[in-house]
Amino acid sequence: MIRFKNASVTYPGGVQALKNVTLEIPDGQMMVIVGLSGAGKSTLIRAINGLVPLTGGDVLIDDVSVRHARPRQLREIRSKIGMIFQTFNLVKRTTVLNNVLMGRLHGAGTMRSVLGWYREADVEIAMRSLERVGIVEKAYVRASNLSGGQQQRVGIARALAQEPKIILADEPVASLDPPTSHVVMRDLQRINTELNMTTIINLHFLDLAKVYGERIIGMRAGELVYDGTGAKADENVFRDIYGRSLTADDLMGEAGAAASTTG
Amino acid sequence: MTADQVARTPTARPTKPARSPWVPLSLLIFLGLTWAAASEELGIGFDIGELIGNFTRGFPFLADFWSPNWAFLPQTYEPMLETLRMSIIAAAIGCSVALPISFLASRVTTPNLAVYLADRGILNVVRAIPDILYALIFVAALGIGALPGILALVLFNIGVVVKLLSETVDGVDPGPIEAANAAGGNRTQAVRWAVLPQVLPNYVAYSLYVFELNIRASAVIGIVGAGGIGRLITTERRFFNYDNLSVILIEIFVFVFLIELISISLRRRLV
Repeated sequence: MIRFKNASVTYPGGVQALKNVTLEIPDGQMMVIVGLSGAGKSTLIRAINGLVPLTGGDVLIDDVSVRHARPRQLREIRSKIGMIFQTFNLVKRTTVLNNVLMGRLHGAGTMRSVLGWYREADVEIAMRSLERVGIVEKAYVRASNLSGGQQQRVGIARALAQEPKIILADEPVASLDPPTSHVVMRDLQRINTELNMTTIINLHFLDLAKVYGERIIGMRAGELVYDGTGAKADENVFRDIYGRSLTADDLMGEAGAAASTTG
Repeated sequence: MTADQVARTPTARPTKPARSPWVPLSLLIFLGLTWAAASEELGIGFDIGELIGNFTRGFPFLADFWSPNWAFLPQTYEPMLETLRMSIIAAAIGCSVALPISFLASRVTTPNLAVYLADRGILNVVRAIPDILYALIFVAALGIGALPGILALVLFNIGVVVKLLSETVDGVDPGPIEAANAAGGNRTQAVRWAVLPQVLPNYVAYSLYVFELNIRASAVIGIVGAGGIGRLITTERRFFNYDNLSVILIEIFVFVFLIELISISLRRRLV
Protein backbone atom coordinates (compact mmCIF):
# COMPACT_ATOMS: atom_id res chain seq x y z
CA MET A 1 0.00 0.00 0.00
CA ILE A 2 1.19 3.48 -0.93
CA ARG A 3 0.10 6.31 1.34
CA PHE A 4 0.55 10.02 0.64
CA LYS A 5 0.25 12.04 3.83
CA ASN A 6 -0.02 15.78 3.15
CA ALA A 7 2.79 15.34 0.65
CA SER A 8 4.13 18.59 -0.80
CA VAL A 9 6.92 19.39 -3.24
CA THR A 10 8.28 22.88 -3.83
CA TYR A 11 11.03 23.04 -6.43
CA PRO A 12 14.12 25.21 -5.80
CA GLY A 13 12.74 27.79 -8.24
CA GLY A 14 9.69 28.26 -6.00
CA VAL A 15 7.20 26.32 -8.10
CA GLN A 16 4.84 24.34 -5.89
CA ALA A 17 4.33 21.15 -7.86
CA LEU A 18 2.52 19.16 -5.18
CA LYS A 19 0.27 20.72 -2.57
CA ASN A 20 -0.76 18.73 0.48
CA VAL A 21 -1.71 15.58 -1.35
CA THR A 22 -3.27 12.84 0.74
CA LEU A 23 -3.96 9.62 -1.08
CA GLU A 24 -4.04 5.87 -0.58
CA ILE A 25 -3.29 3.36 -3.29
CA PRO A 26 -4.08 -0.23 -2.30
CA ASP A 27 -1.97 -3.14 -3.55
CA GLY A 28 -2.72 -4.40 -7.02
CA GLN A 29 -4.62 -1.35 -8.19
CA MET A 30 -4.32 0.07 -11.71
CA MET A 31 -4.48 3.81 -11.25
CA VAL A 32 -4.28 6.48 -13.93
CA ILE A 33 -3.34 10.09 -13.23
CA VAL A 34 -4.65 12.75 -15.61
CA GLY A 35 -4.10 16.48 -15.76
CA LEU A 36 -2.61 19.21 -17.93
CA SER A 37 1.14 19.35 -18.33
CA GLY A 38 2.57 21.13 -15.33
CA ALA A 39 -0.24 19.91 -13.08
CA GLY A 40 2.16 17.84 -11.00
CA LYS A 41 1.58 14.36 -12.45
CA SER A 42 5.26 13.59 -12.96
CA THR A 43 6.12 14.98 -9.54
CA LEU A 44 3.46 12.80 -7.90
CA ILE A 45 4.87 9.70 -9.55
CA ARG A 46 8.48 10.57 -8.75
CA ALA A 47 7.59 11.29 -5.13
CA ILE A 48 6.74 7.61 -4.75
CA ASN A 49 10.27 6.38 -5.46
CA GLY A 50 12.00 9.48 -4.15
CA LEU A 51 13.41 10.66 -7.48
CA VAL A 52 11.84 13.98 -6.50
CA PRO A 53 12.41 14.70 -2.79
CA LEU A 54 9.40 15.85 -0.75
CA THR A 55 9.54 19.23 0.96
CA GLY A 56 6.55 18.56 3.20
CA GLY A 57 4.47 15.64 4.47
CA ASP A 58 5.47 12.08 3.64
CA VAL A 59 4.94 9.14 1.36
CA LEU A 60 4.81 5.71 2.97
CA ILE A 61 5.30 2.48 1.08
CA ASP A 62 4.16 -0.46 3.19
CA ASP A 63 4.55 1.89 6.15
CA VAL A 64 8.17 2.77 5.29
CA SER A 65 8.84 6.49 4.90
CA VAL A 66 10.35 7.55 1.59
CA ARG A 67 11.15 11.03 2.81
CA HIS A 68 13.19 9.90 5.79
CA ALA A 69 14.90 6.95 4.13
CA ARG A 70 18.71 6.94 4.20
CA PRO A 71 20.34 6.57 0.76
CA ARG A 72 20.78 2.82 1.22
CA GLN A 73 17.19 2.37 2.37
CA LEU A 74 15.98 4.49 -0.50
CA ARG A 75 17.77 2.23 -3.00
CA GLU A 76 16.15 -0.72 -1.26
CA ILE A 77 12.71 0.88 -1.65
CA ARG A 78 13.40 1.76 -5.28
CA SER A 79 14.47 -1.77 -6.09
CA LYS A 80 10.89 -2.84 -5.40
CA ILE A 81 9.43 -0.15 -7.67
CA GLY A 82 9.82 -0.48 -11.43
CA MET A 83 9.65 2.68 -13.52
CA ILE A 84 8.75 3.29 -17.14
CA PHE A 85 9.50 6.59 -18.86
CA GLN A 86 8.04 8.72 -21.63
CA THR A 87 11.30 8.76 -23.56
CA PHE A 88 12.13 5.14 -22.61
CA ASN A 89 15.47 6.16 -21.05
CA LEU A 90 17.31 3.27 -22.62
CA VAL A 91 21.03 3.27 -23.29
CA LYS A 92 20.70 3.15 -27.06
CA ARG A 93 24.27 2.14 -27.76
CA THR A 94 24.14 -1.11 -25.86
CA THR A 95 22.15 -4.31 -26.20
CA VAL A 96 18.56 -4.84 -25.15
CA LEU A 97 19.70 -7.42 -22.59
CA ASN A 98 22.17 -5.02 -20.99
CA ASN A 99 19.38 -2.49 -20.67
CA VAL A 100 17.05 -5.01 -19.05
CA LEU A 101 19.83 -6.16 -16.71
CA MET A 102 19.81 -2.63 -15.32
CA GLY A 103 16.73 -3.80 -13.48
CA ARG A 104 18.93 -6.33 -11.64
CA LEU A 105 21.56 -3.79 -10.51
CA HIS A 106 20.29 -3.56 -6.96
CA GLY A 107 20.62 -7.25 -6.19
CA ALA A 108 23.77 -7.83 -8.24
CA GLY A 109 26.31 -6.10 -5.98
CA THR A 110 28.57 -3.27 -7.08
CA MET A 111 31.73 -5.17 -8.02
CA ARG A 112 29.88 -7.91 -9.86
CA SER A 113 27.70 -5.54 -11.87
CA VAL A 114 30.52 -3.11 -12.66
CA LEU A 115 32.52 -5.97 -14.17
CA GLY A 116 29.42 -7.17 -15.98
CA TRP A 117 29.51 -10.60 -14.31
CA TYR A 118 25.81 -10.95 -13.73
CA ARG A 119 24.69 -14.17 -12.09
CA GLU A 120 22.98 -16.68 -14.34
CA ALA A 121 19.82 -16.25 -12.27
CA ASP A 122 19.82 -12.51 -13.02
CA VAL A 123 20.22 -13.11 -16.76
CA GLU A 124 17.42 -15.68 -16.55
CA ILE A 125 15.09 -13.13 -14.91
CA ALA A 126 15.99 -10.56 -17.57
CA MET A 127 15.26 -13.06 -20.35
CA ARG A 128 11.93 -14.00 -18.78
CA SER A 129 10.99 -10.32 -18.55
CA LEU A 130 11.73 -9.94 -22.26
CA GLU A 131 9.58 -13.00 -22.97
CA ARG A 132 6.73 -11.46 -21.04
CA VAL A 133 6.69 -8.41 -23.32
CA GLY A 134 7.26 -10.58 -26.38
CA ILE A 135 10.65 -9.36 -27.67
CA VAL A 136 13.08 -11.93 -26.30
CA GLU A 137 14.38 -12.47 -29.84
CA LYS A 138 15.86 -8.94 -29.68
CA ALA A 139 17.93 -9.66 -26.56
CA TYR A 140 21.30 -9.18 -28.27
CA VAL A 141 20.22 -6.40 -30.62
CA ARG A 142 21.30 -2.82 -30.00
CA ALA A 143 18.49 -0.84 -28.40
CA SER A 144 18.88 1.89 -31.03
CA ASN A 145 17.85 -0.58 -33.74
CA LEU A 146 14.36 -1.06 -32.28
CA SER A 147 11.19 0.87 -33.10
CA GLY A 148 9.64 3.19 -30.52
CA GLY A 149 7.06 0.64 -29.42
CA GLN A 150 9.71 -2.06 -29.07
CA GLN A 151 11.94 0.29 -27.09
CA GLN A 152 9.13 1.00 -24.66
CA ARG A 153 8.62 -2.72 -24.21
CA VAL A 154 12.31 -3.04 -23.36
CA GLY A 155 11.62 -0.29 -20.82
CA ILE A 156 8.79 -2.37 -19.39
CA ALA A 157 10.98 -5.48 -19.34
CA ARG A 158 13.65 -3.52 -17.45
CA ALA A 159 11.05 -2.59 -14.83
CA LEU A 160 9.80 -6.18 -14.64
CA ALA A 161 13.32 -7.49 -14.17
CA GLN A 162 13.30 -5.79 -10.79
CA GLU A 163 10.49 -8.18 -9.81
CA PRO A 164 8.78 -5.15 -8.30
CA LYS A 165 5.61 -4.76 -6.29
CA ILE A 166 4.82 -1.44 -7.89
CA ILE A 167 5.12 -0.18 -11.46
CA LEU A 168 5.28 3.55 -12.13
CA ALA A 169 4.76 4.73 -15.69
CA ASP A 170 5.37 8.39 -16.54
CA GLU A 171 3.53 9.14 -19.81
CA PRO A 172 4.49 5.75 -21.22
CA VAL A 173 2.75 6.23 -24.56
CA ALA A 174 3.27 9.95 -25.19
CA SER A 175 6.07 9.24 -27.69
CA LEU A 176 4.16 6.48 -29.50
CA ASP A 177 1.55 6.34 -32.28
CA PRO A 178 -2.03 5.38 -31.37
CA PRO A 179 -1.99 1.64 -32.30
CA THR A 180 1.35 1.11 -30.55
CA SER A 181 0.04 3.02 -27.56
CA HIS A 182 -2.74 0.50 -27.13
CA VAL A 183 -0.32 -2.42 -27.43
CA VAL A 184 1.86 -0.94 -24.67
CA MET A 185 -1.14 -0.08 -22.49
CA ARG A 186 -2.47 -3.61 -22.83
CA ASP A 187 0.97 -4.96 -21.84
CA LEU A 188 0.77 -2.86 -18.70
CA GLN A 189 -2.80 -3.98 -18.02
CA ARG A 190 -1.85 -7.63 -18.40
CA ILE A 191 1.12 -7.23 -16.07
CA ASN A 192 -1.17 -5.57 -13.53
CA THR A 193 -3.69 -8.42 -13.56
CA GLU A 194 -1.36 -11.39 -14.06
CA LEU A 195 1.43 -10.35 -11.69
CA ASN A 196 -0.77 -8.32 -9.37
CA MET A 197 1.58 -5.34 -9.39
CA THR A 198 0.24 -1.98 -8.28
CA THR A 199 0.40 0.10 -11.46
CA ILE A 200 0.37 3.90 -11.52
CA ILE A 201 0.30 5.58 -14.91
CA ASN A 202 0.37 9.21 -16.03
CA LEU A 203 -1.68 9.69 -19.15
CA HIS A 204 -2.36 12.58 -21.44
CA PHE A 205 -5.25 11.16 -23.40
CA LEU A 206 -8.57 11.02 -21.61
CA ASP A 207 -10.06 8.20 -23.67
CA LEU A 208 -7.02 6.00 -22.87
CA ALA A 209 -7.41 6.89 -19.21
CA LYS A 210 -11.07 5.83 -19.24
CA VAL A 211 -10.34 2.52 -20.98
CA TYR A 212 -7.42 1.43 -18.81
CA GLY A 213 -7.89 3.23 -15.52
CA GLU A 214 -9.49 1.12 -12.84
CA ARG A 215 -9.23 4.29 -10.81
CA ILE A 216 -8.60 7.80 -12.09
CA ILE A 217 -6.94 10.63 -10.20
CA GLY A 218 -7.24 14.16 -11.53
CA MET A 219 -4.57 16.76 -10.81
CA ARG A 220 -4.68 20.51 -11.29
CA ALA A 221 -1.97 22.94 -10.18
CA GLY A 222 -0.46 20.41 -7.79
CA GLU A 223 -3.72 19.51 -6.12
CA LEU A 224 -5.89 16.43 -6.22
CA VAL A 225 -9.16 17.49 -7.83
CA TYR A 226 -10.72 14.15 -8.73
CA ASP A 227 -10.58 10.63 -7.38
CA GLY A 228 -12.96 8.05 -8.74
CA THR A 229 -13.51 5.11 -11.04
CA GLY A 230 -12.83 5.27 -14.75
CA ALA A 231 -16.47 4.51 -15.48
CA LYS A 232 -17.70 7.56 -13.56
CA ALA A 233 -15.22 9.95 -15.15
CA ASP A 234 -17.31 11.62 -17.84
CA GLU A 235 -16.72 14.71 -19.91
CA ASN A 236 -17.81 17.04 -17.10
CA VAL A 237 -15.29 15.53 -14.74
CA PHE A 238 -12.45 15.98 -17.23
CA ARG A 239 -13.58 19.51 -17.99
CA ASP A 240 -13.32 20.17 -14.29
CA ILE A 241 -9.83 18.66 -14.04
CA TYR A 242 -8.56 20.60 -17.04
CA GLY A 243 -10.32 23.81 -16.10
CA ARG A 244 -11.38 24.32 -19.73
CA SER A 245 -13.52 22.71 -22.39
CA LEU A 246 -12.11 19.60 -24.03
CA THR A 247 -10.58 19.61 -27.51
CA ALA A 248 -9.64 16.93 -30.01
CA ASP A 249 -6.07 17.14 -28.73
CA ASP A 250 -7.15 15.65 -25.43
CA LEU A 251 -8.25 12.44 -27.08
CA MET A 252 -6.14 9.84 -28.78
CA GLY A 253 -9.02 9.17 -31.15
CA GLU A 254 -10.72 6.46 -33.14
CA ALA A 255 -7.65 5.26 -35.02
CA GLY A 256 -6.14 3.85 -31.88
CA ALA A 257 -9.39 2.44 -30.54
CA ALA A 258 -10.08 0.62 -33.82
CA ALA A 259 -6.62 -0.90 -33.84
CA SER A 260 -7.06 -1.99 -30.26
CA THR A 261 -10.08 -4.14 -31.09
CA THR A 262 -8.32 -5.87 -33.98
CA GLY A 263 -4.84 -6.01 -32.47
CA MET B 1 -15.52 23.96 -32.05
CA THR B 2 -11.98 22.81 -32.60
CA ALA B 3 -8.78 23.93 -31.01
CA ASP B 4 -7.76 25.66 -34.24
CA GLN B 5 -10.67 28.08 -34.15
CA VAL B 6 -10.11 28.94 -30.52
CA ALA B 7 -6.51 29.98 -31.07
CA ARG B 8 -7.23 32.58 -33.77
CA THR B 9 -7.37 35.81 -31.78
CA PRO B 10 -5.20 38.37 -33.59
CA THR B 11 -2.12 39.58 -31.69
CA ALA B 12 0.28 42.34 -32.71
CA ARG B 13 3.50 41.06 -34.22
CA PRO B 14 6.58 41.83 -32.14
CA THR B 15 9.08 44.40 -33.41
CA LYS B 16 12.58 43.15 -34.11
CA PRO B 17 14.70 43.61 -31.00
CA ALA B 18 17.64 46.04 -31.25
CA ARG B 19 20.93 44.48 -32.22
CA SER B 20 23.13 43.71 -29.27
CA PRO B 21 26.16 46.05 -29.09
CA TRP B 22 28.27 43.28 -27.59
CA VAL B 23 29.14 41.53 -30.84
CA PRO B 24 30.82 44.50 -32.63
CA LEU B 25 32.22 45.73 -29.32
CA SER B 26 33.93 42.46 -28.43
CA LEU B 27 35.24 42.20 -31.99
CA LEU B 28 36.77 45.68 -31.60
CA ILE B 29 38.31 44.76 -28.25
CA PHE B 30 39.76 41.61 -29.79
CA LEU B 31 41.30 43.53 -32.69
CA GLY B 32 42.66 46.15 -30.27
CA LEU B 33 44.29 43.51 -28.08
CA THR B 34 45.86 41.83 -31.10
CA TRP B 35 47.29 45.14 -32.28
CA ALA B 36 48.63 45.91 -28.79
CA ALA B 37 50.25 42.50 -28.50
CA ALA B 38 52.04 42.97 -31.83
CA SER B 39 52.97 46.65 -31.44
CA GLU B 40 56.47 47.93 -30.69
CA GLU B 41 55.41 49.93 -27.62
CA LEU B 42 53.08 47.51 -25.82
CA GLY B 43 53.87 44.13 -27.27
CA ILE B 44 56.52 42.04 -28.91
CA GLY B 45 57.22 44.38 -31.82
CA PHE B 46 55.97 42.12 -34.56
CA ASP B 47 57.10 43.54 -37.90
CA ILE B 48 55.71 41.99 -41.05
CA GLY B 49 58.33 43.78 -43.21
CA GLU B 50 61.10 42.09 -41.29
CA LEU B 51 59.41 38.75 -41.82
CA ILE B 52 59.28 39.26 -45.58
CA GLY B 53 62.79 40.74 -45.78
CA ASN B 54 64.49 37.93 -43.88
CA PHE B 55 62.33 35.15 -45.21
CA THR B 56 64.90 33.79 -47.63
CA ARG B 57 67.61 33.51 -45.00
CA GLY B 58 66.35 30.06 -43.99
CA PHE B 59 66.36 28.75 -47.54
CA PRO B 60 69.79 27.01 -47.45
CA PHE B 61 68.61 24.98 -44.47
CA LEU B 62 65.30 24.26 -46.13
CA ALA B 63 67.16 23.06 -49.19
CA ASP B 64 68.60 20.22 -47.09
CA PHE B 65 65.12 19.36 -45.98
CA TRP B 66 64.10 18.82 -49.59
CA SER B 67 66.74 16.12 -50.05
CA PRO B 68 66.24 13.69 -47.16
CA ASN B 69 69.15 11.42 -46.46
CA TRP B 70 67.44 8.03 -46.65
CA ALA B 71 70.65 6.23 -45.72
CA PHE B 72 70.10 7.66 -42.25
CA LEU B 73 66.77 5.83 -41.90
CA PRO B 74 68.05 2.61 -40.21
CA GLN B 75 69.62 4.68 -37.43
CA THR B 76 66.18 6.11 -36.57
CA TYR B 77 64.53 2.71 -36.02
CA GLU B 78 65.72 2.17 -32.46
CA PRO B 79 64.77 5.66 -31.07
CA MET B 80 61.51 5.63 -33.05
CA LEU B 81 60.64 2.27 -31.54
CA GLU B 82 61.44 3.70 -28.13
CA THR B 83 59.10 6.61 -28.83
CA LEU B 84 56.34 4.18 -29.85
CA ARG B 85 56.83 2.11 -26.70
CA MET B 86 56.84 5.19 -24.49
CA SER B 87 53.72 6.53 -26.19
CA ILE B 88 51.77 3.28 -25.84
CA ILE B 89 52.73 2.75 -22.19
CA ALA B 90 51.99 6.37 -21.28
CA ALA B 91 48.66 6.37 -23.14
CA ALA B 92 47.62 3.06 -21.53
CA ILE B 93 48.43 4.20 -18.00
CA GLY B 94 47.23 7.78 -18.49
CA CYS B 95 43.90 6.83 -20.08
CA SER B 96 43.16 4.14 -17.46
CA VAL B 97 43.78 6.58 -14.63
CA ALA B 98 41.86 9.33 -16.45
CA LEU B 99 38.63 7.30 -16.77
CA PRO B 100 37.52 7.32 -13.11
CA ILE B 101 38.88 10.84 -12.60
CA SER B 102 36.77 12.06 -15.53
CA PHE B 103 33.57 10.86 -13.85
CA LEU B 104 34.60 12.72 -10.70
CA ALA B 105 35.14 15.86 -12.79
CA SER B 106 31.57 16.08 -14.10
CA ARG B 107 28.56 17.30 -12.15
CA VAL B 108 26.42 14.73 -13.95
CA THR B 109 28.19 11.84 -12.24
CA THR B 110 29.50 13.65 -9.15
CA PRO B 111 26.77 15.68 -7.46
CA ASN B 112 29.04 16.22 -4.44
CA LEU B 113 30.30 19.78 -4.98
CA ALA B 114 33.42 19.45 -2.79
CA VAL B 115 34.68 16.32 -4.58
CA TYR B 116 33.93 17.86 -7.96
CA LEU B 117 35.73 21.13 -7.21
CA ALA B 118 38.74 19.38 -5.67
CA ASP B 119 39.08 17.11 -8.70
CA ARG B 120 38.70 20.01 -11.14
CA GLY B 121 41.20 22.11 -9.18
CA ILE B 122 43.89 19.43 -9.16
CA LEU B 123 43.30 18.74 -12.84
CA ASN B 124 43.67 22.41 -13.71
CA VAL B 125 47.07 22.42 -12.05
CA VAL B 126 48.09 19.19 -13.80
CA ARG B 127 47.06 20.65 -17.14
CA ALA B 128 48.63 24.06 -16.55
CA ILE B 129 52.13 22.57 -16.37
CA PRO B 130 53.51 21.97 -19.88
CA ASP B 131 54.75 18.49 -20.77
CA ILE B 132 58.33 19.69 -21.29
CA LEU B 133 58.41 20.98 -17.71
CA TYR B 134 57.27 17.59 -16.41
CA ALA B 135 60.02 16.02 -18.47
CA LEU B 136 62.61 18.40 -16.99
CA ILE B 137 61.44 17.63 -13.45
CA PHE B 138 61.44 13.85 -13.96
CA VAL B 139 64.78 13.86 -15.79
CA ALA B 140 66.25 15.81 -12.88
CA ALA B 141 64.78 13.34 -10.40
CA LEU B 142 65.30 10.05 -12.24
CA GLY B 143 68.07 10.75 -14.72
CA ILE B 144 68.09 10.61 -18.51
CA GLY B 145 66.06 7.85 -20.19
CA ALA B 146 62.65 6.62 -21.22
CA LEU B 147 61.13 6.38 -17.71
CA PRO B 148 61.01 10.14 -16.97
CA GLY B 149 59.59 10.60 -20.48
CA ILE B 150 56.83 8.07 -19.81
CA LEU B 151 55.93 9.73 -16.50
CA ALA B 152 55.80 13.15 -18.15
CA LEU B 153 53.54 11.79 -20.89
CA VAL B 154 51.27 10.04 -18.37
CA LEU B 155 50.55 13.31 -16.56
CA PHE B 156 50.12 15.10 -19.86
CA ASN B 157 47.65 12.39 -21.02
CA ILE B 158 45.61 12.47 -17.82
CA GLY B 159 45.19 16.21 -18.21
CA VAL B 160 44.00 16.00 -21.81
CA VAL B 161 41.70 12.96 -21.46
CA VAL B 162 40.02 14.14 -18.25
CA LYS B 163 39.36 17.55 -19.78
CA LEU B 164 37.78 16.12 -22.93
CA LEU B 165 35.99 13.15 -21.36
CA SER B 166 34.49 15.01 -18.40
CA GLU B 167 33.02 17.52 -20.83
CA THR B 168 31.58 14.65 -22.85
CA VAL B 169 30.08 13.21 -19.66
CA ASP B 170 28.47 16.60 -19.01
CA GLY B 171 26.57 16.19 -22.25
CA VAL B 172 25.23 12.63 -21.93
CA ASP B 173 21.53 11.83 -22.01
CA PRO B 174 20.51 11.89 -18.32
CA GLY B 175 17.53 9.60 -18.95
CA PRO B 176 19.38 6.29 -18.47
CA ILE B 177 20.94 7.61 -15.25
CA GLU B 178 17.45 8.32 -13.94
CA ALA B 179 16.44 4.79 -14.96
CA ALA B 180 19.40 3.27 -13.12
CA ASN B 181 18.59 5.32 -10.01
CA ALA B 182 14.93 4.35 -10.21
CA ALA B 183 15.95 0.69 -10.34
CA GLY B 184 17.78 1.06 -7.03
CA GLY B 185 21.28 1.06 -8.50
CA ASN B 186 24.00 3.04 -6.73
CA ARG B 187 26.09 5.77 -8.32
CA THR B 188 28.94 3.51 -9.39
CA GLN B 189 26.49 1.17 -11.11
CA ALA B 190 24.72 4.08 -12.81
CA VAL B 191 28.06 5.36 -14.12
CA ARG B 192 29.03 1.91 -15.37
CA TRP B 193 25.78 1.03 -17.13
CA ALA B 194 24.10 4.34 -17.94
CA VAL B 195 27.03 6.71 -18.61
CA LEU B 196 30.02 4.64 -19.73
CA PRO B 197 28.27 3.05 -22.75
CA GLN B 198 27.29 6.54 -23.90
CA VAL B 199 30.82 7.98 -23.76
CA LEU B 200 32.77 4.87 -24.78
CA PRO B 201 33.31 5.84 -28.46
CA ASN B 202 34.57 9.25 -27.36
CA TYR B 203 36.84 7.68 -24.76
CA VAL B 204 38.42 5.44 -27.37
CA ALA B 205 38.82 8.38 -29.74
CA TYR B 206 40.45 10.52 -27.03
CA SER B 207 42.77 7.66 -26.08
CA LEU B 208 43.95 7.29 -29.67
CA TYR B 209 44.29 11.05 -29.89
CA VAL B 210 46.62 11.24 -26.89
CA PHE B 211 48.62 8.32 -28.27
CA GLU B 212 49.12 10.42 -31.38
CA LEU B 213 49.96 13.49 -29.26
CA ASN B 214 52.53 11.38 -27.38
CA ILE B 215 54.45 10.60 -30.55
CA ARG B 216 54.70 14.30 -31.32
CA ALA B 217 55.35 15.28 -27.69
CA SER B 218 58.12 12.71 -27.29
CA ALA B 219 59.97 14.52 -30.09
CA VAL B 220 60.00 17.59 -27.84
CA ILE B 221 60.60 16.02 -24.42
CA GLY B 222 63.45 13.95 -25.87
CA ILE B 223 65.29 17.26 -26.30
CA VAL B 224 65.57 17.59 -22.51
CA GLY B 225 66.76 14.01 -22.17
CA ALA B 226 63.52 12.08 -21.74
CA GLY B 227 64.28 9.44 -24.33
CA GLY B 228 62.79 8.55 -27.69
CA ILE B 229 63.11 10.15 -31.09
CA GLY B 230 63.62 13.57 -29.52
CA ARG B 231 67.08 12.55 -28.40
CA LEU B 232 68.06 11.87 -32.00
CA ILE B 233 66.49 15.14 -33.14
CA THR B 234 68.67 17.08 -30.68
CA THR B 235 71.88 15.49 -31.87
CA GLU B 236 71.14 15.87 -35.57
CA ARG B 237 70.00 19.47 -35.11
CA ARG B 238 73.19 20.31 -33.26
CA PHE B 239 75.27 19.11 -36.20
CA PHE B 240 73.00 20.91 -38.67
CA ASN B 241 72.14 17.61 -40.37
CA TYR B 242 68.91 18.89 -41.82
CA ASP B 243 68.80 16.11 -44.39
CA ASN B 244 68.69 13.61 -41.52
CA LEU B 245 66.13 15.68 -39.61
CA SER B 246 63.97 15.63 -42.70
CA VAL B 247 63.92 11.82 -42.57
CA ILE B 248 62.84 11.91 -38.93
CA LEU B 249 60.09 14.42 -39.67
CA ILE B 250 58.74 12.31 -42.52
CA GLU B 251 58.82 9.26 -40.26
CA ILE B 252 56.86 11.03 -37.51
CA PHE B 253 54.38 12.24 -40.10
CA VAL B 254 53.88 8.69 -41.40
CA PHE B 255 53.29 7.33 -37.91
CA VAL B 256 50.84 10.07 -36.96
CA PHE B 257 49.01 9.53 -40.23
CA LEU B 258 48.81 5.75 -39.68
CA ILE B 259 47.44 6.24 -36.17
CA GLU B 260 44.86 8.62 -37.56
CA LEU B 261 43.78 5.97 -40.09
CA ILE B 262 43.48 3.31 -37.38
CA SER B 263 41.62 5.77 -35.19
CA ILE B 264 39.07 6.55 -37.91
CA SER B 265 38.35 2.89 -38.65
CA LEU B 266 38.06 2.05 -34.94
CA ARG B 267 35.68 4.90 -34.30
CA ARG B 268 33.49 3.91 -37.23
CA ARG B 269 33.20 0.42 -35.76
CA LEU B 270 32.33 1.74 -32.30
CA VAL B 271 29.76 4.47 -32.91
